[in-house]
Amino acid sequence: MKQTLDRRRLLATAALGGLVGATGLGSLAPEAAFAAEAVTVEPGAPDPNFAEGRISKISGSMLLVTGSDAVLHSIRITDGTSIWKLHPTTFDQVAVGDGLYARGLRLPDGTLAADSVWVNIVNLHAHIASVGRNMLHLDHKGQRIVAHVVPGRSAAVYNGTPAISDMSLLRVGRHVQVLGAWHPDTNEISVATVYAAA
Amino acid sequence: MAALVGEMSWFCCGSAWGPCGTAGGGACGTCKSGNYQHAWPNASDACFSITRPDTCGVSMSRRTCGFRHYTTNPCSGKRVGTTIADCGPQTDLWCGERTCCGASCGTNRIIDLTPAAYSAIASLSTGLRPCSVDTV
Repeated sequence: MKQTLDRRRLLATAALGGLVGATGLGSLAPEAAFAAEAVTVEPGAPDPNFAEGRISKISGSMLLVTGSDAVLHSIRITDGTSIWKLHPTTFDQVAVGDGLYARGLRLPDGTLAADSVWVNIVNLHAHIASVGRNMLHLDHKGQRIVAHVVPGRSAAVYNGTPAISDMSLLRVGRHVQVLGAWHPDTNEISVATVYAAA
Repeated sequence: MAALVGEMSWFCCGSAWGPCGTAGGGACGTCKSGNYQHAWPNASDACFSITRPDTCGVSMSRRTCGFRHYTTNPCSGKRVGTTIADCGPQTDLWCGERTCCGASCGTNRIIDLTPAAYSAIASLSTGLRPCSVDTV
């Protein structure tokens, strides 16, 4: 835990300009770098250390994000921030217009020093309407979603078995959960993982 | 009461971007992605008739909007407290599904957390994790 807390202190310090480029934390995978410290948030209440919305401006290492509820967020990216955009990636892959969820540490000035940022991530429950070459058409809440299979990245999990790249067992009409990355302002996503029941 | 062990995932609700934009406030009308909330398969008669965890052999108590649960991720040891804000997951579509991290496993989907809650105990990019759910 001490290591965890120290890391968050480093992030906060880095966000304040003291340690950017010198934390030695490097870029961590989201799985290893997600919210590291238990936060006392009342069940049902909003988490001040979490933000969501779409990026309206990128200024240096700061993301200006317009929340879906119109609240504005300033999110600081540090050397220790893990960034996911279909896969772990780097800050230069983040663009204006992207949607995001971010978790980190809210600083006294209101800035969120980000531990983790998940860019364009979606987790959809849908039915398979059709299957094409490297493509799934999904029915999601009455809308059609085009899900692109990305060779070398997309994986399928069939009823809890280990993830494999073979999508051939996916069938029209089947219910699936699709974790992926949205293509902003379209009805298209890229597939990270498809979960299919037996 | 013993904790209920199974699988957890996450879902968006309230105001949202992208394909989540149609999510709405959930069955309770209060659901927001940024709040510590969750969906529960037995939140009402109507909800239970859709999710049917009993068909997977899972017995889940009737608990309604605002009820508090505490979910632990055995992969990280982290725990989050949330309130019921929606109906779900649809357990019966995933009967027997098993998810593990190391030696910790969960079978059958028993809870969906909001992104704020899920990301407090696991990375959103994991999508699905074993969990245990308790009331205290």
